[in-house]
Amino acid sequence: MLKVGNLVAGYQTGSRVLDGFSLHIEPGEVVALLGRNGMGKTTFLKALMGHVPVSEGSINFADEEVAGRKPYEMARRGVGYVPQGREIFSDFTVEENLLMGLLGRPDLPQKVPDWAFEVFPVLHERRKQRGGSMSGGQQQQLAIVRALVGQPRLLLLDEPSEGIQPNIVEEIGKVLARIAREQGLTILLVEQNMELVLGMAQRCLFMENGAIAYETSEVQQLRTDPSPIHRYLSV
Amino acid sequence: MTFAVELGLDTLSYSLSLLLVSLGLVIIFGLMNVINMAHGEFFLLGAYSVVAVQQLHMPYWLTLLIAPLMLAVVGLILEELVIRHVYHRFIDTILATWGISIALKQLIVIVFGPTSQSIVNPLPEPVHVLGVVYPSFRLFIMGVALLISFATFWVFYRTHIGLAIRGVIANRPMAASLGLNTRRMDRWTFAFGAALAGLAGAVMAPIMSVDPQMGGGFLIPAFLSIMVGGIAHLLGVVLGVALIGTTGTVIASVDTQVASQVAVFLLAIVVIRIWPEGLIGRKR
Repeated sequence: MLKVGNLVAGYQTGSRVLDGFSLHIEPGEVVALLGRNGMGKTTFLKALMGHVPVSEGSINFADEEVAGRKPYEMARRGVGYVPQGREIFSDFTVEENLLMGLLGRPDLPQKVPDWAFEVFPVLHERRKQRGGSMSGGQQQQLAIVRALVGQPRLLLLDEPSEGIQPNIVEEIGKVLARIAREQGLTILLVEQNMELVLGMAQRCLFMENGAIAYETSEVQQLRTDPSPIHRYLSV
Repeated sequence: MTFAVELGLDTLSYSLSLLLVSLGLVIIFGLMNVINMAHGEFFLLGAYSVVAVQQLHMPYWLTLLIAPLMLAVVGLILEELVIRHVYHRFIDTILATWGISIALKQLIVIVFGPTSQSIVNPLPEPVHVLGVVYPSFRLFIMGVALLISFATFWVFYRTHIGLAIRGVIANRPMAASLGLNTRRMDRWTFAFGAALAGLAGAVMAPIMSVDPQMGGGFLIPAFLSIMVGGIAHLLGVVLGVALIGTTGTVIASVDTQVASQVAVFLLAIVVIRIWPEGLIGRKR
């Protein structure tokens, strides 16, 4: 699904926030990307989406080289992006926000499907309400469904638990794990919240200084042996 | 009473055509953060398309089609050649579009000469409205401007395209992440704004003195209207145009043009001093 090789990228020319970053994600996998602040997690998602220029290396998505593509081209190729801070359209209603997930997709019907309001019931209740009037957790749910209506093959989530009450984080984790299981959606989750990671991820990648420093598929063992978490995550 | 009705109608026809110019200007500014100093010359080109059509002995009504189409093409070309290279440098967009404005003005001087041209009134028969004899062409201007303004509002607030444009205005990177081709939207919005200015020029030409300087006479009140009204909602422009247009026309009718200009600038300064974001300010 996604193969990234020796990626070098940064905000200005010559800067190497990502420095030899490589990863490989199989279709249907749920992978967590972990690391301290400033290690390059968000920069990687932005480079993948085409928001940050790539100076070296390759990004292969669904058997196509996509490094240097524009954001809209990545979206149309099936990458759904839920950015840090949610970035919903606060003056638009819930329904209009969801419609925004479709307007850039000429390949999809230009109508919000009914199932979009059922993923998280609160979106159905607040359908006609302004997005900006909802709580942080509800806005996060909105941002996730806005990405899902675009029927992505790969969903990128950047710290979806940030600043959100624990019961909503739990609900989000359960719903996403179920969608991944039932529909084979591939998910790349950038997180610092270990509860969400342990509840969803099949593989954990730990990032340090712009590259993957350690990875494990034995996610549940992190509960009994949290040494990688201490090594790469705690301050 | 007659005087009041006439003044009311004059104010309305001037304000409505000012609205056409201002709508294009504000949508371009909202979407692309470009202050288009050449917008007045788009109006000018629209007016001179009437001169050209008249010299070729073709009916005036053709310009209502030719002017917006021609300006859409001009807009597309200028966007491609100049604007898109300077988008991200705000001050440079002012300089670049100012340069375009000078070049277009001189082009008109070269082709049509520096003196003013007179346009034959396409609807010479006056009509009786509310007890006054009033030029029917001014009523026609109001009709066209109203229709186009309503259509613009409808597209902006009631259609999917309008929602997409407002989405890009609100959050460009996010809209792009959802699959919207923002480049393409910029290009067509710029062309649309230029077309509106061209149409305004074409409908106003028969009642104005058509000369190479006329663009500025519309650009400045359009800017003032936008600053007074605010850019949070297109209704702000309507409000701004109503205030600036009314003040300008009313004072000019009872006093001199100079007094009218002074009053308009004073009004703008006072409003901006009290409401820096305009009367319909951006929500915080």
